[in-house]
Amino acid sequence: MKSTTNCKIVKILDLSDKQLLELSRKNVLSLSLEEMKAIQNYFKKLKRNPTDVEIETIAQTWSEHCKHKTLTGVIEYTEEKGSQKVRRTYRNLLKETIFKATVELNKKWCLSVFKDNAGVIEFDSKNGVAFKVETHNHPSALEPYGGSATGIGGVIRDILGVGLGAKPLANTDVFCFGNPNTVASKVPEGMHHPKRIVKGVVSGVRDYGNRMGIPTVNGAVYFDDGYMANPLVYCGTMGIIPKNKIEKKVNFGDLILVVGGRTGRDGIHGATFSSIQLDQESDVTAVQIGNPIVEKKVLDVMLKARNLNLYRAVTDCGAGGLSSAVGELGEKTGAVVYLNKVPLKYQGLSPWEIWISEAQERMVFAVPPKNKKKIVEIFKKENVEAVFIGEFTKDKKLTLIYNNDVVTSMDMKFLHDGVPKPTRLAVCKVKEEKEQKPVKMTSSEISKALRASLADLNVCSKEWIIRQYDHEVQGQTVIKPLQGNDIEVSGPGDAAVIFPYTVVRGTKKGIVLSNGLNPQYGKINTYKMAASAIEEALRNAVAVGSDVEKMSILDNFCWGNPNKPEILGSLVRAANACYDMSKAFDVPFISGKDSLHNEYSIGGKKYSIPPALLISAMGVIENVANTITMPLKNNGNKIFVLGITRDELGGSVLAKIKNIKDGIVPNVYPKESKEIMKRIYKAINKNLIESCHDCSEGGLAVAISEMAFSADRGVKIDIDAIKTETIRSMTIAEILFSESNGRFIVEVYPDNEEKFQEIFNCTVFSKVGYVNDDKKIIFESKKNKIKVQEDPETLLKVWQSTMNW
Amino acid sequence: MKKVKTLILRTAGTNCDYETQAAFELCGAVVECVHINTLIEKKDKIFEYDILAFPGGFSYGDDIASGKILSNEVKNKLGDKFKKFALSDKPIIGICNGFQVLVKMGLLPEPKLFEQISTLSYNDSDKFECRWVYLKTEKKVKNESNCIWTKNLPDIISLSIAHGEGKFIPNNKKLLNSLNKNNQIVFRYSSKDGSKPEYPLDPNGSIEQIAGICNTKGNIFGLMPHPERYVFALQHPAKEGFDGEYGWGKIIFQNAVDFVK
Amino acid sequence: MFKIEILTKKGFKNSHGKHVLSDITGIGIRNVIKVEYSPLYIIDGDINFVEAKMIASELLSDKIIETYTVNNHSEHDSKSTATFNCALFVVEVWYKTGVTDTVSESVMKAVKDLGIIKEMKVKMGHKYYLYGKISQTVLNNIATKLLANTLIQEYKIK
Repeated sequence: MKSTTNCKIVKILDLSDKQLLELSRKNVLSLSLEEMKAIQNYFKKLKRNPTDVEIETIAQTWSEHCKHKTLTGVIEYTEEKGSQKVRRTYRNLLKETIFKATVELNKKWCLSVFKDNAGVIEFDSKNGVAFKVETHNHPSALEPYGGSATGIGGVIRDILGVGLGAKPLANTDVFCFGNPNTVASKVPEGMHHPKRIVKGVVSGVRDYGNRMGIPTVNGAVYFDDGYMANPLVYCGTMGIIPKNKIEKKVNFGDLILVVGGRTGRDGIHGATFSSIQLDQESDVTAVQIGNPIVEKKVLDVMLKARNLNLYRAVTDCGAGGLSSAVGELGEKTGAVVYLNKVPLKYQGLSPWEIWISEAQERMVFAVPPKNKKKIVEIFKKENVEAVFIGEFTKDKKLTLIYNNDVVTSMDMKFLHDGVPKPTRLAVCKVKEEKEQKPVKMTSSEISKALRASLADLNVCSKEWIIRQYDHEVQGQTVIKPLQGNDIEVSGPGDAAVIFPYTVVRGTKKGIVLSNGLNPQYGKINTYKMAASAIEEALRNAVAVGSDVEKMSILDNFCWGNPNKPEILGSLVRAANACYDMSKAFDVPFISGKDSLHNEYSIGGKKYSIPPALLISAMGVIENVANTITMPLKNNGNKIFVLGITRDELGGSVLAKIKNIKDGIVPNVYPKESKEIMKRIYKAINKNLIESCHDCSEGGLAVAISEMAFSADRGVKIDIDAIKTETIRSMTIAEILFSESNGRFIVEVYPDNEEKFQEIFNCTVFSKVGYVNDDKKIIFESKKNKIKVQEDPETLLKVWQSTMNW
Repeated sequence: MKKVKTLILRTAGTNCDYETQAAFELCGAVVECVHINTLIEKKDKIFEYDILAFPGGFSYGDDIASGKILSNEVKNKLGDKFKKFALSDKPIIGICNGFQVLVKMGLLPEPKLFEQISTLSYNDSDKFECRWVYLKTEKKVKNESNCIWTKNLPDIISLSIAHGEGKFIPNNKKLLNSLNKNNQIVFRYSSKDGSKPEYPLDPNGSIEQIAGICNTKGNIFGLMPHPERYVFALQHPAKEGFDGEYGWGKIIFQNAVDFVK
Repeated sequence: MFKIEILTKKGFKNSHGKHVLSDITGIGIRNVIKVEYSPLYIIDGDINFVEAKMIASELLSDKIIETYTVNNHSEHDSKSTATFNCALFVVEVWYKTGVTDTVSESVMKAVKDLGIIKEMKVKMGHKYYLYGKISQTVLNNIATKLLANTLIQEYKIK
């Protein structure tokens, strides 16, 4: 190989360690010394220097974003509890925790897990449903609109690229931002104001999702100043796929077809960029702008081509562009690509730029030669560009050709398995949690705290966001994100249910989507944060009528710099919680993703974000008619609290508002919780529950108030009737605002009370009150002479006013 | 029995084709979703069909203005065919983006004129919004509207809307008067009790709360709300409907299918 | 090269301008009293004035509520600040070269549909008329904090 105008030889054979590192830094390769040395050794064996195309290809393929080196690498973990130290070595953290649980649970309805672009579970005898959640954090910090739009665009392509392509049915979005009310002068130099980021990110998801015709039906927003300079943008897509289209297989001789958008300089180094901390001078070419209509056209036609069996495999161009997509498909065969055949937006791209560009809206197909003409015709008919750029071979090599010059020739095996496994140290010093001093509050203080909780950014209504998304397109959203008893609705639904009747004609089944996230807990205890997130996601789904035995979950880790042992240690603990809870709840993980290196610098000082584990849940519902919403339905109905209320205020909304030090972070008791979840499902299917709401942030006071004001009804609650843990007596404020897991609030028609109680026999539940006909929300403890009284209308306004932009 | 053939026009950015197809099929029609390129290629293909539907979505991204590029394309490339179809009294429906297309190309309010004399502009809120609204209906029986699509509906129904450009504006008072006089304003945004609504029940600030109109003959119907999203009671926020199973949107599609039969 | 500006006709709401005004107030700037918004298009290619006018009237503007100027030339009333007894500032925002501009791609397709089959380049931009007593610093603030992201867009203050 020789240097030409378009392809340069990179001399690395004789470089010293220092020079190797310098090369990595200068070219934004994000490769470590060990990795650079592995490359050097490989080319020493080949007795030649690599080309720039080869170096860039390796950097992309080995990037944290594509390879997940940290979580699949070696981790030497030490857990310190007081003076006790426990050591453990992980060869591959993912395989030994999250994936291990899935393998051990071995559910036969898990059709494709942890191997494709999304996880797939069984929907019915003929179809599967696929779900994937991705993050797109760094681009969203720089260009909120473009960043989040390409985030949602990318995860939709994951669903198009699962198996032979699924039809997207719904999107989810979860964001973490800094406080939008921050004074402008407090925003670090060079960063956008959090409110601008919120508005930009929401518009980006809105414009892309709406134009794609996919309803955004579920989500969450979390505000914490730790995300001011490094917001988190999680986007998810769920789709439906015929069971016989789940497997893909590339044969040698298959042609490589690139479809959709043209290739430009956009997003060069996106994959390696995501492993670099953000600062004022972040790279501008990493920003991509999406074009949803191009992607929509691809979606429309590719599903037709799929049904005509015109191709054998497909994947999306995500991080790493063609390099990753072709590399992935050709891993077992080999591939030759003619780079000058790739359609370009404009001239002047060098071969390596063409190969790793992250231009949006592109998919790569493996097409048997006999279908060559037909597949291009069908795309052309709807004005979609589709161009053959090469073929899959059987030499197990990656060969790239540009203007008749071979610019890359490497073994697929080296490319995919040659990355040295790093060894990282992880330490976790488990903080001992202490109970807070008893929180004593008067009636009026409780009233105030209730209003403050409802107005809190992490509890308040997100209607401003939800309404901008077309959450009803496709006509299949039967349990909606905003709920009420008429059409003028605003209550916070726990989960969304999609009834895919336009795709699966005659079906009665539905698909539930929900999520759980609470970084506040993670500041104290990442194990409990992870466990709580898993339970919350399941509780949310169960509250609308899901069968916990038919649930699956996804993990999305957003963490700080994993090179810091304490940060990695907190991640190991969270991963352990994932294993434990997955096993205990008997709920498998089916897919996941991690985004590490969420670190930013202000004034030369580096900060990592508060760790965030998003758990997204998906399940199949037997009969969508048996689903319920959370607003109270009728005066006179009885209110029950299911589960035990414990003294768990650590990381709670009340602790934040009242600045309470100490407190126990909510624990998860999977056995107790699961028993309750199973019985709720039974009771809902016997029509014994009128409304049900998950109890989480803000505790019972918030959850019960939400059920009341969403229905514009009153409710009378006897606080003394709420069953609490008996170890220590709890104050009224603690009972009302504790965020113990495992609790639901349900409304029961008086005539059904007996049957209802029968079902919940032997679990902890308390009958706490009834729906009031005088439109007053009342919490009363005669024992403690506490009486809190509020109007539903007032509380609704308080809850709505925070984000009423 | 006669097969009722429905054509749903598709192009880049069409979204609501699946559910519109499902709605027509539920009412017994045979449906084909046809890409505009196919119609441009086979210009008389449209006459194989009894009903024409312009579905919702974001045709060509709604770039420039909602429905603008598609309305120009149809008018410039297939104008005479579509006009002929419209004047043959066959049912045509335009939902949301489809309504915008019908208005901007001029098939509504009057296909004989075939000129844009009204528009659907940005919501007063300048926001895209998705919500359910109440609609006051004017029906053939009561108000002698000719609209074949809205027969047998109750006085007030609810449907979902999802748009950023739904504010109906006629070009002058005279047109507004004649729309009123001819009972062409078949849907108006309303309060639950039928009184004049305020935002958000009046979601966009349309002149006289106009949500849907038909031509004088009553075969062409355009509306911003999405009846195809309410063919089952299950789709209603409170699961309300008729016959325990269906949503009121179904009636609209049924009317057209029955009309052809 | 033709520069086409789309203006809201008198008597109709300039909703987006109102929205921008509320955003400006939202970041604590109080001396802007009114904002009007106009989309801008630059069409660069082998077309003549008549064709440019046709593109503006048939495609880029809405006959009912909008009017247009081609190269600042209008057959309708020109803009007047008479009703506002205060200064008028104009901010134009354009994508930087190389940034994907999806609207321009749609415009090129739509121009062909009009029967004008010629090679051309299209750029879309945004023009904001700001009324009020506004200092240069505040103006820059509004431009960089709300109207343009300088990473991908550039702005001009007139």
